[in-house]
Amino acid sequence: MRILLPFLLLVAALVATIALDRPLPPADLVVIERSDCYTLDPQRMSYQHELRRARVIYETLVNLRASDCAIVPGVAERWESSDDGRTWTFHLRDDARWSNGDPVTSRDFSYAWRRALLPDTAADYSALFFEIKGGRAFFEKRKALLKAFAEKAKAGGVNSADVEQLQRDTMLAFEEGVGIKTPDDRTLVVHLETPLAYFLDICAFPPFAPVHRDTVERFVSIDPKTGGYIQRHGWTKPGEIVTNGAYTPTVWRYKRDMRLERNPHYWNPDAVMADSIECRTIENPNTGVLAFESGGADWLTDLGPEYKTEMLAERRAYLERFRADVDAGLARGADLDDVVGALPPPGEGERRDARGFDAFGTDFFSFNCRKTLPGEKSNPFHDARVRRAFALAVDKQQLIDRVTRLNERVASTLVPPGSIDGYPLVEGLGFDPARAREELKAAGYEDRDGDGVVENERGARFPTVDILYSTASPRYQNLALAMRDMWKRELRVAAECRGKDSKLYKEDLKKGNFMIARGGWYGDYGDPTTWLDLQRSDNGNNDRGYSNPKLDAMLEAARLETDAAKRLAMLAECERWLFNEEVPLLPICNYVTVYMYDPSRLDGMSDHPRLEQDLSILGRRASAPTTEGAGARSPSESAQ
Amino acid sequence: MSAGGGGINGTSVGGLLARRLLQLPLIVLAVYTVTFLLAWSIPGNPLENPEGRRPPPEIAEAMQKQYKLDDPVAFYFDYLGKASGVSWALGKHPVPFDLGPSLKQPDWSVNEILGTGLPVSISLGLAAMLIALSIGLVAGTIGGLRPGTTPDYLTQLLAIVGISLPSFVIGSAILMFFAVKLRAPAIGWGGETVFESLVRASFPAFTLSLPFAAYISRLVRFGMIEEMSSDYIRTARAKGLPRWKVALKHALRNAFLPVLSYLGPATAVALTGSFVVEKVFAVPGVGQHFVDGVLGKDITLVMGVVLVYSTLMVVLNLAVDVLYRFVDPRLG
Repeated sequence: MRILLPFLLLVAALVATIALDRPLPPADLVVIERSDCYTLDPQRMSYQHELRRARVIYETLVNLRASDCAIVPGVAERWESSDDGRTWTFHLRDDARWSNGDPVTSRDFSYAWRRALLPDTAADYSALFFEIKGGRAFFEKRKALLKAFAEKAKAGGVNSADVEQLQRDTMLAFEEGVGIKTPDDRTLVVHLETPLAYFLDICAFPPFAPVHRDTVERFVSIDPKTGGYIQRHGWTKPGEIVTNGAYTPTVWRYKRDMRLERNPHYWNPDAVMADSIECRTIENPNTGVLAFESGGADWLTDLGPEYKTEMLAERRAYLERFRADVDAGLARGADLDDVVGALPPPGEGERRDARGFDAFGTDFFSFNCRKTLPGEKSNPFHDARVRRAFALAVDKQQLIDRVTRLNERVASTLVPPGSIDGYPLVEGLGFDPARAREELKAAGYEDRDGDGVVENERGARFPTVDILYSTASPRYQNLALAMRDMWKRELRVAAECRGKDSKLYKEDLKKGNFMIARGGWYGDYGDPTTWLDLQRSDNGNNDRGYSNPKLDAMLEAARLETDAAKRLAMLAECERWLFNEEVPLLPICNYVTVYMYDPSRLDGMSDHPRLEQDLSILGRRASAPTTEGAGARSPSESAQ
Repeated sequence: MSAGGGGINGTSVGGLLARRLLQLPLIVLAVYTVTFLLAWSIPGNPLENPEGRRPPPEIAEAMQKQYKLDDPVAFYFDYLGKASGVSWALGKHPVPFDLGPSLKQPDWSVNEILGTGLPVSISLGLAAMLIALSIGLVAGTIGGLRPGTTPDYLTQLLAIVGISLPSFVIGSAILMFFAVKLRAPAIGWGGETVFESLVRASFPAFTLSLPFAAYISRLVRFGMIEEMSSDYIRTARAKGLPRWKVALKHALRNAFLPVLSYLGPATAVALTGSFVVEKVFAVPGVGQHFVDGVLGKDITLVMGVVLVYSTLMVVLNLAVDVLYRFVDPRLG
């Protein structure tokens, strides 16, 4: 029995450890996410789910209204811009408060924006702050100061006075050189490098949120060896974190859950629905669906790919049964969720708790536009005629019907239609195999000896097309294979698909080691430039190596244009030219995001094409929705 | 890192402890070095969102510098010093055993991640081993006492199923039935009441235990068959002791020895190999963090987990060796 004793002790300890692990108390809104936030530091964020949470934890100068993506007052109650569009003055409301009761001041913004501009912070979105006058120069100045300090330190000659001098020089460079001014606590003046038509939209972007200076500073120290700031991130933890948004995090357990509770000092409590929100992290997509199905969760933000097609088909079956009621409801101007939520419950083989939305993202394949491929091999895709031929030979509708099967919207250009106010619909190239062959012939390639493969005039065959995709999802492989067959059939070229793990794929993409490669992009802010800038010669995400002074000049001209309508027309012309003549990439479709939520229980989901959901306006319905007298909202459901 | 009793004859428990504890830093250092080389050679950049946009080159460079990712040698010694506590002992670092910030989740230090994940993973692993022991002992004894009968075939069949079915299949099936159909608490970890916590933990623990239970039952069955036909059992039976008493008191005790030497490495496997079960049941343990760390080249997280686990393994094997001496008097 002696041996049983340690086992019994072990069992007791085990039971105690397991039992002591308490779940969170029930929240008013439970959201299941596929990944946890990597950081709650707004200046360092870059993932969509983080930005979504940041929007309710921090409040920016202005807010983006989820339902229509209009700019509405946030911490600033009003603002004005100078005639040349380069100077913006924001007047902050006096009742804006941090969660510890401190007032939110213009200095909090200035401090946060300075952090974003410091190379020490290494913020993903620093480049957006370079639009502020002197921003890039300050970044470079700080880098030079740090370098000089490090050299002096290496020679062994730094002391605390040098460290202080470095900080003073940095502050001076910021105060004198950067166009962020705080004449008083309630006023923030921003000077821009160029008239930035979408500056307000950027101001609503979470990396532009303020942070509570005293809290953050407690976690900053100076490295005596390099003079740089060491920023520890403990301040983002519940108990330390101070926020100025609708909510504040009270519990955060790594890759497990986060609980948000109302910020007691938020100036606009009436606009906030739920008192508490639980964000659960379930990484396995299959388990996420099972957790939603077993009840207790209100919203699953990312349905796993294995389920999408089937669940959307079940929803279509359900809507089909009530087609007349749905049409009548939408005709009255009611919101689709209100209409669907008021219908009788779904039967066998039907469902209404999965819904697909066209996302603010476009799926595409990049052409390698560089003159040569690695190893100095000549690159046929340097020729725009070849790119046009390959684009014209792809039947995208067939790809959507047979391969991706999510009923996505076919895309021929980058900017998703309807996503940006005042920006017209721009059409690119469609499916036209006859014209595709002509384009290829014009580029010098046709089947001269009748062997079923095209050659140039010297008899050399068109090189085998190297199609690169990442194996992160079977979707890309299936698309690559289907397009390979289309190109073989329509253009008579040989093509091979090359699947790589996402990191190796990214390396090849950077090195330009491909002819055609899978790509995709989600827009950051509500302006066509978040898409079109991708093609600029100097853009860090220009994987295609596309470089055309004409495009750079067109975009630069639009940048300097102060008339908003004229500017959008210039950009639309630029996009039209890009996707009818140049075709640096082949757009396939707009992404579809599938949410799971029951419209008879949850209210407040937006179907605006930018798909910015606002957690603070989501809430459980007190009773089943009625569609009578509902306000007019966009009655579109393209992806069902 | 042998788990068996071989080669330790003739030394006292104290000598064994002293020798193994002296070996510990050397073993861990070797593991650290090999892991570092492997982790550093993972392609990609941990500071980059693999599916997303790329920061401008000057920012990317600043990020690399911030975490010493531009200099592997400096990183190796810097991290080793901080993690081992040497830097702290020399007064160069404020805290001992600092495993650094996670590169992918900058808000979390590896110490915090292990601090929350390790108790969960250890509980899950140990619970699984207890379940495996219970199932394995009972099934193995039943089969071993009456080999060739229906109960024996049944338990052997179960053992084959337990070994061959992957845990994500069993786990998913359990979830489908218990979580979705019966709405039992099976996803996640912890509960409002002690009962709920235990119920919730029992599903992943059971799933994790199956292959071990199967193996243990085979070990016990084989041991029982052998022991029951040995001379000392025949003597005991001849003295008139009842069959059950002989089986449980004498035969099982000896048949259990191979199980005991299997327990050390098996517990190690249960602790480190639980990531599939953790993923399927959304259990917030270290296993899935580790796999995510490897996939995302989160070097500090990978190094930290490996350091802690390798230390744990050495200690666990030592514990089994010590326990062995108490059970088997032939040793020391």
